[in-house]
Amino acid sequence: MVQTISLHRVLQEAVATPYRNLVTRATGAAVRGRIEATLAVGNGHTTLLDFSGVDCLDLSCADEIVAKLLLAAATGDRVLVLAGVREDQREALEHVLAHHRLAVAACFCGIAQPDLLGWIGSDARLAFAELSARGPADPPSLAARLDWSLERTVLALDDLGRHRVARPVAGVFHPATVP
Amino acid sequence: MTRIVEVPAHFDDRSFDQFAAHFGAWPPEERVLIDARGTQWASPYGLVGLLTAGQALAEASREKPLLTVPASDDVKRYWTRTGFFAHAADLFEVHGKVPKAGATGPSDVLLDVTPIRASEDIHEIVGKIQESAARILTGELGIDAKATMGFAMALSEACQNIVEHAGTSGWVAVQTYTFRRRLGGRRVVVIAVSDAGVGFRRSLESTQARRFGDRWGDQGALEAALIQNVSRFRDPGRGQGLAGIKRYLSRWQGKISIRSGTARLAIVPAWDEDAPLVDHLPFFPGAQVQVTIPAQHAES
Repeated sequence: MVQTISLHRVLQEAVATPYRNLVTRATGAAVRGRIEATLAVGNGHTTLLDFSGVDCLDLSCADEIVAKLLLAAATGDRVLVLAGVREDQREALEHVLAHHRLAVAACFCGIAQPDLLGWIGSDARLAFAELSARGPADPPSLAARLDWSLERTVLALDDLGRHRVARPVAGVFHPATVP
Repeated sequence: MTRIVEVPAHFDDRSFDQFAAHFGAWPPEERVLIDARGTQWASPYGLVGLLTAGQALAEASREKPLLTVPASDDVKRYWTRTGFFAHAADLFEVHGKVPKAGATGPSDVLLDVTPIRASEDIHEIVGKIQESAARILTGELGIDAKATMGFAMALSEACQNIVEHAGTSGWVAVQTYTFRRRLGGRRVVVIAVSDAGVGFRRSLESTQARRFGDRWGDQGALEAALIQNVSRFRDPGRGQGLAGIKRYLSRWQGKISIRSGTARLAIVPAWDEDAPLVDHLPFFPGAQVQVTIPAQHAES
């Protein structure tokens, strides 16, 4: 089950003003607090953080919200996916995720196929792109589709699994995206 | 007794040390008179630095300093347009006729001199500047439209240093102007942020002084913050603000310079001849940050 959280709406609730910018660490912490409270009573396995309606995203907010939620998710069974991300928000997200050696799947505005942001190897990126474009696959099938060795494919899938951006269901790897 | 502090004729980050030297041992015992009569031009760095001096004297419980306004009508008008005098009236006993703030049209001022006291002020600043920043960055500086967000991000992070570390409020101003001597007369956009707070050394002392040993001081503190991205907080996510600003600036051949206490450290791009590190400067309270982004092409 997917639980969608509108960051724009949470921002407006958290700061009680019509701001559209996710800036400052205090704001980020307030927004994350509200998200954590929502997640605590929700039962979704996948949480979709929707950036639609958010303008500026600074590093402090990216760190307080996305990085810290991902760090928390790593200790549980929750998967985090970003949606409605604008290209000009990529830099802040990439920066903080790389800082913490984290990665996340993100759907950008106007682009059908999801992308990976953060600290992840190039093979894992290619494997994720293939799974997203042409559907889930088990390691041998994916190796055939990419024309890679099975060993290389397994390493790439391990990387994706470690970052919780793909997960195996009965041996078939599914990318962490929104249906 | 009154201590006369002369404002340099051309008041910017380069002449700031000359201004700071007039204060002597901080805080000065005598009443201070800041004499700007001969000032012909002031950068945003100069203007926020002036307000910081007034604020620091107030916070040191000194008598309200005097400020004599520039003799030049053009300079006075410009200082009025930036909002400087509106704030100066609270901090100084202003002497001289100040023009009334009137309706303003398009100008080189992207962001008036603005106080930063809390996180909400940064929301206001970022919200206010986005449209004009996009116009200036893409229209005048030839920077990719997508980089506007990075500019707002850099501004936000620079301002947050005050809220997070200074222990008091501060000031920010953003302006575009043309370099006369450097960069072959190119346009630049400058963010100037200044506070009268504890400074980098005191902010980082409890966590970094032992590591630096004998090298600890204003210079070591700036090095820890700007080069090593160290923060006083133990949270591993901290210290990314200045790192993010540096990353943004490296893409656009920008410059960042931070002065705190008696030292100044800068990341100097190829177009500038500034010294990366200067120590043993005249003391000035708090921290002063300047971010400069040049046009990506020479003006025709």
